[in-house]
Amino acid sequence: MKKIFALILTFAIVICSIGALTSCGGARFDENKNISVVTREDGSGTKSAFMEIIGLKGKTDISGVIVASNTASVLVEVKNNPLAIGYDSLGYITDEVKMLKVDGVEATIENIKNGSYKISRPLNIVYQESSINHEANKAFFAFLQSSDAQAIITDNGYVSTNDTTTSYTVIPGLTGEIDISGSTSLLPLMEKLAMKFESIQDGVKITVAGGGSGTGYNNAKNGVSDFGMISEDFNPSKADNCTYYGVAKDGIAVIVNKENTFDSISLEDLKNIYNKDAGDSAIKTWAGVSK
Amino acid sequence: MHGVFLFSAIFSILALATITIFLFVSGVPFIAKTGFAEFLFGSDWAPVADNPSYGIFPMIVATLYVTALSVIIGVGIGLLTSIALYKFCPKRLVTPVRQMINLLAGIPSVIFGLFGMTIIVPFVRDYISPTGVGYGILSASLVLGIMILPTIVSVSLDSLNSVPSSYYEGALALGATKEQATFKVMVPSAKSGILAGVVLAIGRAIGETMAVIMVIGGSPEMPESIFQSVRTLTANIAMGALELQGDALSALIATGVVLFVFTLILNVSFSLLKKDKSEKKEKRGESK
Repeated sequence: MKKIFALILTFAIVICSIGALTSCGGARFDENKNISVVTREDGSGTKSAFMEIIGLKGKTDISGVIVASNTASVLVEVKNNPLAIGYDSLGYITDEVKMLKVDGVEATIENIKNGSYKISRPLNIVYQESSINHEANKAFFAFLQSSDAQAIITDNGYVSTNDTTTSYTVIPGLTGEIDISGSTSLLPLMEKLAMKFESIQDGVKITVAGGGSGTGYNNAKNGVSDFGMISEDFNPSKADNCTYYGVAKDGIAVIVNKENTFDSISLEDLKNIYNKDAGDSAIKTWAGVSK
Repeated sequence: MHGVFLFSAIFSILALATITIFLFVSGVPFIAKTGFAEFLFGSDWAPVADNPSYGIFPMIVATLYVTALSVIIGVGIGLLTSIALYKFCPKRLVTPVRQMINLLAGIPSVIFGLFGMTIIVPFVRDYISPTGVGYGILSASLVLGIMILPTIVSVSLDSLNSVPSSYYEGALALGATKEQATFKVMVPSAKSGILAGVVLAIGRAIGETMAVIMVIGGSPEMPESIFQSVRTLTANIAMGALELQGDALSALIATGVVLFVFTLILNVSFSLLKKDKSEKKEKRGESK
């Protein structure tokens, strides 16, 4: 009996140490193995935009898909899994993963602006007309349209939608609180914009929270937040009492692991990877992706 | 002052009643609309598709798989741990080891999730899984198995300790070895307490959400292998609750109803089991 215990204990220790070592070692890229397809949860703005652009709007996910519930976990999975493919907001991509060209076009700000990179989407805020009447909200809205905001947008890798040169005029003594929530894709940019605005107008306090585009619509519609953030084209049926403003445009980059030998993928192949109903043209392994 | 006491006593009951009413009032009409059988036994979950369908059967099955496997892992290791702490390790080690295991219970579930995501999932993916997918039932069960360890260890150790030591001494006096006395006399005598620990553990495993989401993969399909990305009932609710609206949100609340009924059945069957056992014991006592 004592021997069995000792055996079990050794076994457990071996398992644990191997586990600790995994972070160093790991599997290699093998194009004959199945692609680990990473997607986002239903309701995510990035997902609905991506699926719409590759022509799979309203379709269900393929079998075996890995659902990451936020942008960061997509990156983590693609960074660690040599066989993974995923998509994420361009502003989020770090150099720990590799971006694929889509139809030969690189995902850059210029290519998104001139429309040659196909997978891009708007980042909007939705709000009730009445909330703009509020002094602080009105000032923040003006700030978003100013050249100060455009500079921050471009500096952070997003594409500004308006080329104004008018800078923001500070309103002395302005106080108030602004609540913004919604899409996690717009969140990091909005936090930077809010920080800048708070430093210019130090009487104003801005709270920026995530939750996803669905939350953005809901909170704007119910007046929970002054502005809701959405990362898709404004759909009036989701918040009928609201209107929208396009803060910026964002590209969705197709990312793979650094071990991956591919540099480019066609939109058609991408569709066949993510399409449940692709039938015979479905791509299951990396060998099936045309070079 | 009397009122305060009364209110405090009623408060938790009020909370229970409110939650139950909320769940059923907002969930049951949806189930009725979709069709009871279609909701419970439908195999397609596609709340935002063009033709939405709301079948949660794959998630029920996935929940049962994950729970069963994690309980096997947790009970296997936990029971042996408590036996080791009971008689088979140096006395001065018992308290520190026990305290460390209790510390494990205090770790927030999101930390377990992180641990699973960064250590267990890559390990399973690279060394165990034949398909190259690390997310899935096995990873989730390993994480949950670790999470339920403290519950099982402390409850079984307490129930082992509450068995009169004369049983143990008697067995030794009759010539049993230490191992025989423990496994054939003490463990069977402490069975009901150990069972209670297991049921508590099942409850935790079934209800755990955060840690599971981070390692389960999340694809709402029927589990066919333990290395496949699946979705449990709790993961289904948490993944969509902040994002979905309208019918899709009602479908999540209806999922909550199913989960609620699950735990209710678990609790009721446990108390029936316990009652049954104590009755038997009494009868045995009378006939003697």
